[in-house]
Amino acid sequence: MSKFTRRELAAALSTSAVLLARPQVQTQPLPANADEELKASRAQIHDNADQLDKFPLPMTAEPATTFKP
Amino acid sequence: MSSIPDDIFFAGIAEINQKLTKKEFSAVELARAFCDRLETIGPRYNALALSLRKDVLRDAKEVDGDIKRDRLRGPLQGVPFGAKDLLAYAKHPTTWGAKPYADQVFDYTASALKRIQKHGGLLTGKLAMVELAGGPSYRYASASLTGPGLNPWDNTRWSGGSSSGSAIAVALGLATYALGSETSGSILTPSAFCGVTGLRPTYGLVSRHGAMALSWTLDKIGPICRSAEDCGLVLEAIAGGDSDDSSSARKNFYYTPQFSRDLKDVRVGFAPVDFNEGVDPAARGDYAKALETIRSLGVQVTEAKMPDFPYGPVIGTIISAEGSAIFEPLVKSGKVDQLADQHQIAGLKAGLEIPAKDYLKAMRIRALIQEAFRDLLSTVDVLIAPTRFDPAPKITQPLDRRASDRPVPTTPGLTALIPAGNLAGLPALSLPCGFANGMPMGLQLVGSPFSENMLLAIGKTFQDHTDWHKRRPPVAAA
Repeated sequence: MSKFTRRELAAALSTSAVLLARPQVQTQPLPANADEELKASRAQIHDNADQLDKFPLPMTAEPATTFKP
Repeated sequence: MSSIPDDIFFAGIAEINQKLTKKEFSAVELARAFCDRLETIGPRYNALALSLRKDVLRDAKEVDGDIKRDRLRGPLQGVPFGAKDLLAYAKHPTTWGAKPYADQVFDYTASALKRIQKHGGLLTGKLAMVELAGGPSYRYASASLTGPGLNPWDNTRWSGGSSSGSAIAVALGLATYALGSETSGSILTPSAFCGVTGLRPTYGLVSRHGAMALSWTLDKIGPICRSAEDCGLVLEAIAGGDSDDSSSARKNFYYTPQFSRDLKDVRVGFAPVDFNEGVDPAARGDYAKALETIRSLGVQVTEAKMPDFPYGPVIGTIISAEGSAIFEPLVKSGKVDQLADQHQIAGLKAGLEIPAKDYLKAMRIRALIQEAFRDLLSTVDVLIAPTRFDPAPKITQPLDRRASDRPVPTTPGLTALIPAGNLAGLPALSLPCGFANGMPMGLQLVGSPFSENMLLAIGKTFQDHTDWHKRRPPVAAA
């Protein structure tokens, strides 16, 4: 079974590819001012970090540093 | 009034070059006609950043002289093109689509532009873009110094971004082709929304020297054209090693459709759910026909499954961390607040707070993604999926909200192919393949690194059997 959640799938179907990081985009109200935007962006970053933490990463996995196949 | 026939504005590169060498019209006449069109129609769609009329007429005169003396430099010679305003053009403003950089001038020209000019290509103008190529993310189409890119097929809808002006210009015949850039979807998305053909090259194949950096490890420069064949011709000119770009793969590209693999030997993978449930219902008929056309080319079509990875969080973390590091001086100076999009401003500020461990974790997962795609692309040669699953949204639509309220598909299919392909550095080609309620839709083909010739061969053969890429939008009145 796929590890994609339906929330992630909904996000993937939003228009902005760069915004694919956003796991919950359907129901939250839009931020009303700059402070709320900043809070929302920080929350997004934390949410991304939480998603990365859930991924079972083997200790042997090194960062991608070479992009020349 | 221009003596250039209307059809020439929508003609292919080889055809235009042939007419120039046969002296049916001069390069100066052609460049002037394209400049007239770009300056008149471009601003109506917020597509024009800067006309380069004076420079291009000077260059065109030289091309006419070369042609007169039989100094022929290949198919791009004398053919007008445009470039996303993220590419430096010496001694002229390069705004990156953003107010804080409105007066920025470089004393050098981007390598990709220099290469085309070496082939005699005529740069008629810099084309509009989403500010800072949209990094790290933006909410509204209006996130641009020139306003929202308006879709040639319906100017109440968005052109897509961030290579907005490049796709608009090609769709409307304001340039024969244009250069764009992609970090995650910025060539493919506007190509699909505007009904043109876009090629995202393998990471490192085209020099990034002279291009604004949004993400050092993700940015690519590529062509947006009317056909796959034209993408091949442009890629041949712009690809190649460059000591000014540390990420250069130092490989050349020769567009050789005559030597492409027999399509009967090509294995194409797709996910039925993308075409049955994922894509807009109004486009499903055209997508079914597109799949049928692909099958009729003789390729082996098989089902494919996307490797399971948190693509969104991985690419989001990488773009945010690298983009915010690149634009740290902008944030620290406070000038970031001059950007048009509040969401983007906040994203750049917040991105500076990403811990190193999170960036490294994203890059470690990215290495596994690359490995998984190497495995997947040893079982199939090409993956195909809708480029975007919905047509262009209204320009007022928040881009981080789905425009559609139809049910989310039961399985993900290949919906994450844009971020996945970018993370793995894979080439992709978006082909016009139909319409949804009058708006163009695209089909993306993704292959192994440096498999551009195969993607282009499939794309060209598909376009030999269809005419979606020849459709022209009506031009809006002034």
